[in-house]
Amino acid sequence: MRASAGPSIRAALGALAVVLICLCPASTARASQSVALGASFTPYRLGASTTIDINLQIQAPAGQVPTALTEVEVRYPQNLGFALSGLGLAVCSPATLEALGTSGCPANSIMGRGAAVAELRFGAQLVTEGTSISIARAPDQEGHIALLLYAPGPSPVNTQILSPAQLLPANPPFGGRLNMELPIVPSVPGAPDVAIVSLHVTLGPQGLTYYEQTEGSTLAYTPKGILLPTTCPRGGFPFAATFSFLDGSHPEARTTVPCPAERRRRRGAR
Amino acid sequence: MTPHVPRTATAALCGVLAAGCLATASPSVHASTSTSQRARRAHAARVLNATDTAHLHYVSSSGSLLFDEGKATGTLPGSMRVHLDLGTTFTGTFTIYTSGGSIEGHGSAAPHGSGTYESFSGELTVTGGSGRYAHAHGHGGLYGTFDRDNYALVIKTTGSLSY
Repeated sequence: MRASAGPSIRAALGALAVVLICLCPASTARASQSVALGASFTPYRLGASTTIDINLQIQAPAGQVPTALTEVEVRYPQNLGFALSGLGLAVCSPATLEALGTSGCPANSIMGRGAAVAELRFGAQLVTEGTSISIARAPDQEGHIALLLYAPGPSPVNTQILSPAQLLPANPPFGGRLNMELPIVPSVPGAPDVAIVSLHVTLGPQGLTYYEQTEGSTLAYTPKGILLPTTCPRGGFPFAATFSFLDGSHPEARTTVPCPAERRRRRGAR
Repeated sequence: MTPHVPRTATAALCGVLAAGCLATASPSVHASTSTSQRARRAHAARVLNATDTAHLHYVSSSGSLLFDEGKATGTLPGSMRVHLDLGTTFTGTFTIYTSGGSIEGHGSAAPHGSGTYESFSGELTVTGGSGRYAHAHGHGGLYGTFDRDNYALVIKTTGSLSY
């Protein structure tokens, strides 16, 4: 895990922050944040492969920055076929990701994509930074499937984030939980840490290309994806998330992906 | 949730069961005991230590549930069917069909490693069967590989079987 800022950018931001913090000392006060969870399947057809889309939102009172997020645990429904997805056929080491980014990883190790939005305060000014996320299969940890979330963030704070994640067992009605540890990312001296306000993660084949060697040639293909069951659980597919913040709070959010409409299922079966 | 059968566990069970069939029944059955007691003692007396290997191919799947079947070789040859839940832990049920009857049980295994072939190891329990193995029970270990490309399983089992 790494959090670093370019010296020149950091110095400039630091000077700006000192000025702005002096002008508006009360603006750094924090209040508890609210959280929200969204989930969807793309495409959404029972019995077919899909990409899981998870959307986490954090909102602080107007004009304030949320406390830094340190961990998120997303519990997903039972009977989702991660093991049958054909995703993560190779692994990428943390050292490779740190040194070379995802371009240094085997293409067959990438399991998903995403995006994050962070807020940081420079005095009275709220700055928003967006970055893309790549999710790679990492060497197993203590017998659990391990992932790495990699986010390069070149502007306005030059920060590269490497976040470890694991797929762990969960109690019913959930089939497992995706545990993501998030590093504390300092912004500038005297200012609050960078605060994630939006985290969008996809696990699945959408936008991915894998390669296999066949009789001396390299064949590009799209991995199968996470297999949905042929039947929808009563009430839909449940998701839940627990957010852990630096201030010690652990708010939860829940959502459900509704079952497909009966009419749509019948049409799809023909 | 559908019950699942680890492939390796299935193979192990087959081996265990086969071993039990081959084992010689204990002669210590008293003439004064009832028929059912004699039968129970005779069943319990047959214990077999065995190892087996099953090569299973994909039949169908739904979500994380996988149905595979194929051939088992070793101490107790026959065919095997497994229903597995490939969650964070592999769990499932299996049935082994031999010439003398079928053997049923369940097992669980922890997957590890990555790549096209995912290995796993765990334990299996034989809970019953039919024919010669109607009273089968036993416990064993299992390990094997899961081919993430074509969903085939290779399950190796070892353990003891009583029947």
